[in-house]
Amino acid sequence: MLSIDNLHVSVEGRPILKGLSLAVKPGEVHAIMGPNGAGKSTLASVLAGREGYEVIEGEVVFEGQNLLEMAPEERSHAGVFLAFQYPVEIPGVSMIQFLRAALNAHRAAKGLEPLDTSDLMALLREKAALLKLDPSFLSRSVNEGFSGGERKRAEIFQMAVLDPKLVIMDETDSGLDIDALRVVSEAVNALRSPGRAFVIITHYYRILQYIRPDFVHILADGRIVRSGGAELALELEEKGYEPLLNPA
Amino acid sequence: MASTLTQDKLSLEAGASHLTNLFRALRDAQVIPSPLRSKSHQWVSDADLLTLFTEQALKEDWKYTPMDFFRYAWDYVPFQTEPLHIASQSAFSSKSPLSLAEVERIEALRSFPEPLSPWEALLSGIPAQLHYRLVDGERLAFTLRNPGSLSAQLITVSLPAHAEAEIGFSIKGEGFSLLRFHLHLGEGAQLRLYYLSEDGSESTYRYLILTSYLEKNASIATYDFTTEVGWKRSEYRVRLAGEGASAHLHGAAYVREHALVDTAIRVEHFAPHTESNQLFKSLVQAKGRSAFQGRIFVDRVAQKTNAYQSHKALLIAPTAVAYSRPQLEIFADDVRCTHGVTTGFLQGDMLMYLRARGIPEPTARQMLYRAFLTEVVEKVPEVSLRSWIDNRLSDVIGAQS
Ligand SMILES: Nc1ncnc2c1ncn2[C@@H]1O[C@H](COP(=O)(O)OP(=O)(O)OP(=O)(O)O)[C@@H](O)[C@H]1O
Ligand SMILES: [Mg+2]
Repeated sequence: MLSIDNLHVSVEGRPILKGLSLAVKPGEVHAIMGPNGAGKSTLASVLAGREGYEVIEGEVVFEGQNLLEMAPEERSHAGVFLAFQYPVEIPGVSMIQFLRAALNAHRAAKGLEPLDTSDLMALLREKAALLKLDPSFLSRSVNEGFSGGERKRAEIFQMAVLDPKLVIMDETDSGLDIDALRVVSEAVNALRSPGRAFVIITHYYRILQYIRPDFVHILADGRIVRSGGAELALELEEKGYEPLLNPA
Repeated sequence: MASTLTQDKLSLEAGASHLTNLFRALRDAQVIPSPLRSKSHQWVSDADLLTLFTEQALKEDWKYTPMDFFRYAWDYVPFQTEPLHIASQSAFSSKSPLSLAEVERIEALRSFPEPLSPWEALLSGIPAQLHYRLVDGERLAFTLRNPGSLSAQLITVSLPAHAEAEIGFSIKGEGFSLLRFHLHLGEGAQLRLYYLSEDGSESTYRYLILTSYLEKNASIATYDFTTEVGWKRSEYRVRLAGEGASAHLHGAAYVREHALVDTAIRVEHFAPHTESNQLFKSLVQAKGRSAFQGRIFVDRVAQKTNAYQSHKALLIAPTAVAYSRPQLEIFADDVRCTHGVTTGFLQGDMLMYLRARGIPEPTARQMLYRAFLTEVVEKVPEVSLRSWIDNRLSDVIGAQS
């Protein structure tokens, strides 16, 4: 589904990703862990198509297409979804307006007619219930005044609405209280399917207890330095990065 | 003196400098008294108004519209003690807010006796004048289409104590319109005024002067929406003369290419516990210019005043320009006064967020431009009017960006 090969990326002339490779197959759940500043969000941003990142070398293929040549909206239509580490507030655009535009753009890309309002509302209400979000939040402006936890939940809610193939979650668990973490994890588990893959960027073992990963990767200094199964996350939790990154 | 002007057939420019000099001379000779400071319940006298305008004009060192001629020509026309036309009372009387359907419907009933009066008529001292004494629950609505080479209206409105009323003025099409509202709000009176300027072109010139005098606990709210004009200047002078009076001024403008939208405000707090709030936003196209100056004056007696001002401009292109100048003159010590000015381009991370969810870039931009103005649109209390304004703005933004 996703194949990243020897990816080198610079930001403002400074190399951040230094030969990163990763392959993700449909249905898999990959966890990426790594110290602050290692380049995890940079990877997520490059996959989503944020501007300001210079790809020096390497390639990223998503379902046979060169992802790096696609506009962010095209990547979204193709099925890539990034749950942002810091979702931005957009005053003046309601969640309903926002998701109507997004859904209809996805439908237009597939040659489908726009959804009518009652179908749209039914879909939004159903997915809001999955994330235990009060339906009143649909009429609020996107992320405006949302608490940190609400923002993260709203990201997963959007994911549920847009039904992507590849989900990249950038520290979605950070800032969630214990109950919210469970709600979000359950929603993610409910959305796991043979056709859908997840890349979960996290600092904490806890979320991986709820969402069992097939693979755990350690990203340090711009590359994947170690990969393993779920047990690697536990090892990290117990020992920290130091012995893994600088073995004696 | 009006006759001198017309008889001599002075050119516009000469007329302007003539009047400028005249007013300067009057001011220097102290013929014009210092600004009104009494808490008198009288209608503001002509002399007071002249003082107010003259001083304001002379103080306005920072201006983007060459004002001199218009201002003095207009101010020179004296207030009539007997109005030229006394319009019949409105057929519409209800407590619910003015709706758009009514603004449209009332046109036929309430068009101006002399909607198009030539510039010469103005100079000779006979512009169209309307005087209304509104009763509680009444609305006035006007629609002016294609004012032609020049139309000038003076509308004076007085609102008795504790009355609640609304005025809607919708102006469309091309031409030059000069509109002056002079409002007097009695104790506890409440007025909402909509000024909707739309459907114009580069040959649309609109000049609004709104002066208002508020007695104790009176409150005024204005909503000024502009979609397409070549040039527009809105001037507000609000005098909060009575304790507890309040003013809420709102404006949103979509400044098209090569257009100038200029807003000048002076809010005067002359009594304790008065409140004012200015919220103006401009969305500026390539080569468009937005100019805003908002002056808040707080007299030394006006303790416990709350005064807020916010002006934000969003530039669509690097060739768009926004000038903003907040001015605070505060002579009381126990007041709360804030002002905020921001000018900038669309934020890349907002655009990215929408695109990352599959919204194509042009649509995403339009959504964000419209969202920028939404903060002001949302202040419109009446739902149908609010959504109409929102749709108009969206249409224009969609068509041009
Ligand atoms: N736009 C930018 N401008 C300058 N430096 C940047 C930019 N984006 C990222 N960087 C730098 O790139 C490095 C990697 O940042 P990134 O956000 O990818 O780290 P991360 O692994 O996600 O860290 P964290 O765990 O703290 O979220 C950091 O040193 C960061 O300062
Ligand atoms: Mg990060």
